[in-house]
Amino acid sequence: MMRCAWMFVILPPLALGQSQVPDFARQVHPLLVAKCAACHNSRMKQGGLALNTRAEILQGGASGPAAKPGDSASSLLMARVTGERGPRMPLNSPPLTADEVGLLRRWIDGGARASDGPVASDWKPTLTLRAPAVPEGAGSPLDRLMDAYWKKQKVKAPAMASDAQFARRAYLDLWGLLPTPEELQRFESGKEPDKRARLVETLLANPAKYTDHWISFWNDHLRNDEGVVYHGDRQTITPWLKKALEENMPYDSFVRALLNPVEKTDPAGFLVGVNWRGDVSASQIPVLQAAQNSAQIFLGINLKCNSCHDSFINQWKLKDAYGLASFFSDAPLPLYRCDAATGETASIKFLYPELGEAPAIDSPLELKRAAAAELFTKAENGRTPRTLVNRYWRALFGRGLVEPVDDMDAEPWSVEILDWLAADFVAHGWDVKYLLRTLMNSRAYASASTAGGDATPFVFRGPSPKRLSAEQFSDAVSAITGEWRTQTPRGPGAAKYVREWQVKSSPLTRALGRPIRDQVLTERANNPTTLEALEVVNGSTMATSLWRGARRMMGVLPDAPKPLFDSGVVNAQKVVCDVALNGASKIWLVVEDVDSYDPTRTRAGWAGIAFAKANGAVMFKGDTHSSQALLMKVPSMMALDTMGAERLTASVGVDVESLASDINPRIRFFAFSEQPDRSRLIAAEGETPVARPPSLKDKVALVDRVFLHALGRKPSPKESAVAAGYLRDGKPEGLEDLLWSVLLSPEFQYVR
Amino acid sequence: MFVDRSRRDFMKTASAATLSAMAGGGHRLLGAGKVEPTADTLILLWMAGGMAQTETFDPKRYTAYETGLESAKVLSTFPDIPTKVDGVRFSKGLEKIANVMDRCTLIRGYQAGDLGFILHSRHQYHWHTGYAPPQSVACPHIGSWIGKILGPKSENMPAFLDVGQSLEIGAESDSLKAFHTAGFLGTEYGPFFIPNPEDAASSVRPPANISRERFAERWARYQKLMAASPVLRNSSSAQQESLKRSVENAHRLLTSPAAAAFDLNLEPEKRRAPYGDSRFGRACLLARRLTEAGARFIEITTEYIPFRYWDTHENGHTRAADMKAMIDGPVSQLILDLEERGLLDRTLIVLASEFGRDLITEGKPGKLVKDQIKQPDVMTEPKHYGMHRHFTEAGSVLMAGGGVKRGFVYGVTDNQRPCKVVKDPIKIEDLHASIYHAMGIPPDAGAEIERRPFYVTKDGKGRPVNELFIKS
Repeated sequence: MMRCAWMFVILPPLALGQSQVPDFARQVHPLLVAKCAACHNSRMKQGGLALNTRAEILQGGASGPAAKPGDSASSLLMARVTGERGPRMPLNSPPLTADEVGLLRRWIDGGARASDGPVASDWKPTLTLRAPAVPEGAGSPLDRLMDAYWKKQKVKAPAMASDAQFARRAYLDLWGLLPTPEELQRFESGKEPDKRARLVETLLANPAKYTDHWISFWNDHLRNDEGVVYHGDRQTITPWLKKALEENMPYDSFVRALLNPVEKTDPAGFLVGVNWRGDVSASQIPVLQAAQNSAQIFLGINLKCNSCHDSFINQWKLKDAYGLASFFSDAPLPLYRCDAATGETASIKFLYPELGEAPAIDSPLELKRAAAAELFTKAENGRTPRTLVNRYWRALFGRGLVEPVDDMDAEPWSVEILDWLAADFVAHGWDVKYLLRTLMNSRAYASASTAGGDATPFVFRGPSPKRLSAEQFSDAVSAITGEWRTQTPRGPGAAKYVREWQVKSSPLTRALGRPIRDQVLTERANNPTTLEALEVVNGSTMATSLWRGARRMMGVLPDAPKPLFDSGVVNAQKVVCDVALNGASKIWLVVEDVDSYDPTRTRAGWAGIAFAKANGAVMFKGDTHSSQALLMKVPSMMALDTMGAERLTASVGVDVESLASDINPRIRFFAFSEQPDRSRLIAAEGETPVARPPSLKDKVALVDRVFLHALGRKPSPKESAVAAGYLRDGKPEGLEDLLWSVLLSPEFQYVR
Repeated sequence: MFVDRSRRDFMKTASAATLSAMAGGGHRLLGAGKVEPTADTLILLWMAGGMAQTETFDPKRYTAYETGLESAKVLSTFPDIPTKVDGVRFSKGLEKIANVMDRCTLIRGYQAGDLGFILHSRHQYHWHTGYAPPQSVACPHIGSWIGKILGPKSENMPAFLDVGQSLEIGAESDSLKAFHTAGFLGTEYGPFFIPNPEDAASSVRPPANISRERFAERWARYQKLMAASPVLRNSSSAQQESLKRSVENAHRLLTSPAAAAFDLNLEPEKRRAPYGDSRFGRACLLARRLTEAGARFIEITTEYIPFRYWDTHENGHTRAADMKAMIDGPVSQLILDLEERGLLDRTLIVLASEFGRDLITEGKPGKLVKDQIKQPDVMTEPKHYGMHRHFTEAGSVLMAGGGVKRGFVYGVTDNQRPCKVVKDPIKIEDLHASIYHAMGIPPDAGAEIERRPFYVTKDGKGRPVNELFIKS
């Protein structure tokens, strides 16, 4: 449920008769919110009047109290809504119905009482950073604040998580990987009293693995993706982002680079936005997108509503969205309301003018962007660090100090903890790894997770169980089996073994929640769905992974043949093929589509194809004119006799008729001396992201390994017995089925 | 200050919304359920690529090909034929559908959005979600809205099935993927893809290398393994339960008798033959079987591949002939089969395309867009003969069943170039509102996302066209 400054949890309506006194929280307040709060809210008090809380109603505004308990006839609120005293309220809107008027009257006459239930919050977040006093006691400052919180809530501190649970959680939170059985064993058998802190240190100290995990978090938040084309502008920021994570760039520098890209290596793509060719709504031009996304991600403010009109759900106005957008715009922006030109031009104005003056609207763009970068990250702006701290808290604990994380106006369940963390984060140079260390060394993080935390108001009782993300799921399967995704290079050469984030999404990972990054995303839905289950239970992506994975684990996966020739990606150029046949009696020619616009109309040719003996005598030669080349469809494979030849030469390329822009061919040629594996044409070389498990033949060892890696524990005797049943005939299919079963277990899919 | 009334009214409904309107998990539904449906299932026959209306359901004066023919003179490249309904004529090649026109409502004045540039996938995104990208939220596909608001019709059938479209089509793959989702409604309401109807059975059967026996055996072992787990035994949680349930739902789908509906081989040859051998034809047969088995929304497409199928940049005449041959038998047979089984009255069939075609106008009169077609003023080769430009002014939509009038035409286009809509134009908001109306969903139904309302029709402003329906 959403909370905000002036709208609280919606409770089930009570079935009341006409004569009963209305309940403030359930009936009166929702009415006031619906009809009055657009003007009479805590931030914007028209006539000095807010109608947010009972206290505010009784206090009233410039004209005096709005309600006199027990006396509706003398209450100004009633006079206004009936029009008895002008102007009639709500202003410029249809009047309240007779029922609604009666409701207010009966409430006032009934004593204008508060509800027994939850009351609207008076919460107003401060802008500046505050460092609250930390109580005395044992443990880190965070531990002491947490203890004070639990004491106040009369909640017992949770029990500690086991070493295995802690390790699984920490590895997944920092590397996005399960601890291998070796890593887990090493950690569990360690005797140092501070071994958990040491583990956190070790994990933080590996830039490659850390980046491979956290880049997905930032790809979601900055809607960064590779090679996505809508025939409009869009630009990736991956090289910069990767480097920023690898080098642990301080967060304020990170934000400044995104809002004010100056160097060639800076992430210009964030401000470029997502664009499609053609007309766009005024609220979605790049600078408005920039305003919405920077406000949401860095400040926890929703400017989407008020990019078209003044918001009905918060205090922000159309001019605020345009005011911020103006920082990113070369020229002054014409103001559009609901896609209609107003004739006005927007002024440049920051969302919090108290933080500083905006530059003149006709300043150079670089100056305006630099000003935005400064305003977002200056010391007086406590909102930026709080928003970041809250996102990382959520990532680790499963639920933010403030929820939803994109609405930082909502009240945290502990103001002190959020404020202290934010101030401490800034005091230590906006160091994200420092923040992670602080959180992960806390007693709270070291605790067992507790399910169930949807009580209202929320009380923090410990970490919540989290679901493996799509990337974590895929990488887990790869790490357990040793069978990894590969990424093929543009030119000839080997493919590399990579983690899930670096390859295109598959139907499986899309079903598991890997997003289409057209919009920024701060929260992936993690509830299990039937479609997702269908993919895992029955999808071909999973089936192929398990087929190969089981065989690799057992050491019986056949190697894919390597090509004699690989042209790399070809579009308009010709590539020379000149290879020794090494005694092969047959040769397989393969043409694959890489990314042609229309592969079905692409014709690939092996011009001048010739099989020659060692002494140069040519046994077969095709014509060098492309029209007589050996032509193949895309994709296709052809097997030819080598006739005892020792060398194959050809000039490969696309047929001249295929070079049209509406075909735009991008293809790749291969020659193999044995039957190729069409799914593994380009061999991968080099290390796998996680060392491959040793190949095992012993059934007990296999079962133990699966459990240890997937679940972080050995199987129980009962489980061992059931698992042995899977592997009774020693075939890979049994292991496939065991892996399948374990992957479908809630114990695997959830991180406790 | 001027504010949009419907949004203000949203705040009232939001506060007064009953908990019963809250679907499980996330987004509170708004305003649904106040319309009496006339259809329980929607079949969308998607003519991807821009179906030429004057070569199909809105024929104009026919001009035969000859070298030296002026492009501007050509409105249709086929003669027209009568239909079962007096005064209504189709283009030659649609004889079978013409024969069931008396079960149909034909819209001739569909006007596509003015998006400023012709990009098929962007217009398709607009058609399928009601919103033109970029948007500030991930927009749900019409099938996802229907699945979310109405729920599945049968617990053993995914609510939203999508047949015939591969998602890896080269350069426009990403834009295609962008709208084939449930957007912010979440993957539970996403499409269940069946790119190839012949393989439909395999998407609800164990993978090729896993026999039925093995599948059943491993399911049984899986249950035993879960029961043996000391961890799962000692702790239970809502999440565990919901994962368990989703896996069980998947398993039930895969092993239920309803899964037989996906197997086209189970259809007797005699009944299969009228659907023909094309992928689209087979998909129509699949749609009928799935409707019988309780599907809620099925989209069947002739498939969008740039420059293929209905996307005729050249050779429009021969290609249109091929496409008509592809759809004529299956579409008419689908209507007849459903009628024979007593299902047509409660099944709404909509045959539509993202825009129409014309030889001269790219875009619409008064709102031309950048020309992307090489069409000479004078034809010198047969490949110049056909409807090649992208025409957003007028398109045809054929509807049948689900409460629409029988033998009715709505909308008229001019018989002279530029062939504007001269009576009863209809845009996507109102077309969708009409479709949703038939399904029992008001045009301002929607869901709350980031505390603001998002409607099934843009701004909730769609209005159903009551004249399309038998019961107004």
